[in-house]
Amino acid sequence: MDFSKAMAVAASGLRAQNLRMRIISENIANANSTSPTPGGEPYRRKIATMKPEFDRELGATVVETGKPMLDRSDFRSQYDPGNPNADAKGYVKLPNVDSLVEIMDMREAQRSYQADLTVMDATKQMLSKTVDLLK
Amino acid sequence: MNLPDIPLLSLLRERMTWLNKRQDVLSQNVANADTPGYVARDLKPEDFDAMLRSGGTGARLVTTNARHIAVTASPSLIEEEMAPSQPYAHNGTGVSLEEEMIKVADTQAQFQAAANLYSKAMTLMRTAIGH
Repeated sequence: MDFSKAMAVAASGLRAQNLRMRIISENIANANSTSPTPGGEPYRRKIATMKPEFDRELGATVVETGKPMLDRSDFRSQYDPGNPNADAKGYVKLPNVDSLVEIMDMREAQRSYQADLTVMDATKQMLSKTVDLLK
Repeated sequence: MNLPDIPLLSLLRERMTWLNKRQDVLSQNVANADTPGYVARDLKPEDFDAMLRSGGTGARLVTTNARHIAVTASPSLIEEEMAPSQPYAHNGTGVSLEEEMIKVADTQAQFQAAANLYSKAMTLMRTAIGH
């Protein structure tokens, strides 16, 4: 009986959700980051990508994180003529980060992380039950 | 007679192996809960009749001739693709986290029951040999 497989798969889930959380926190932290140079583009929202991948060594489908993708949607613009980054009409480009969306994504990542931890906990208890058979 | 060959113990061991395999499959479902395009899987439920026929309780095809081919049938643990019963996923995944959590808890409880039965059977045997 081998419980390390279930543990390793759950660990891959934890790792993926952790990376996703990092990208979400980057988005939230940069929600107001305008371009460092006048006329340039502000921070562009990143999206975490995941794909199922069959691990031949493990013999199970783990979750693999891919390269973060950039959100192609339009930037927000705000009327702020005093800003050094403002264009001729006085508008400043702001990142296409919607904090509401980010918070929802964060909640989802948190929930998935918890689920992975629950699986690990259950597997651990099954393992300790097996070890208890030696008593 | 070997100790692991005792029908009760071998049945319990098979049950625990099946539950362990199921836990593997469930952990894959949970890890891929947010992966687009992934569809949840599960093991085929254990079928008593099929297990009885495939030799789970010691009934096997007998080879009486040298030309006979021995059948070493073990209960097949084929993973089944499960079509999502409803489009619950807003992000394009076919995994219901709630359903998986229930299954994980169920597997854990069943495993605990099997392990407890196993240790009880061992205690019975220990009593029989006078310890």
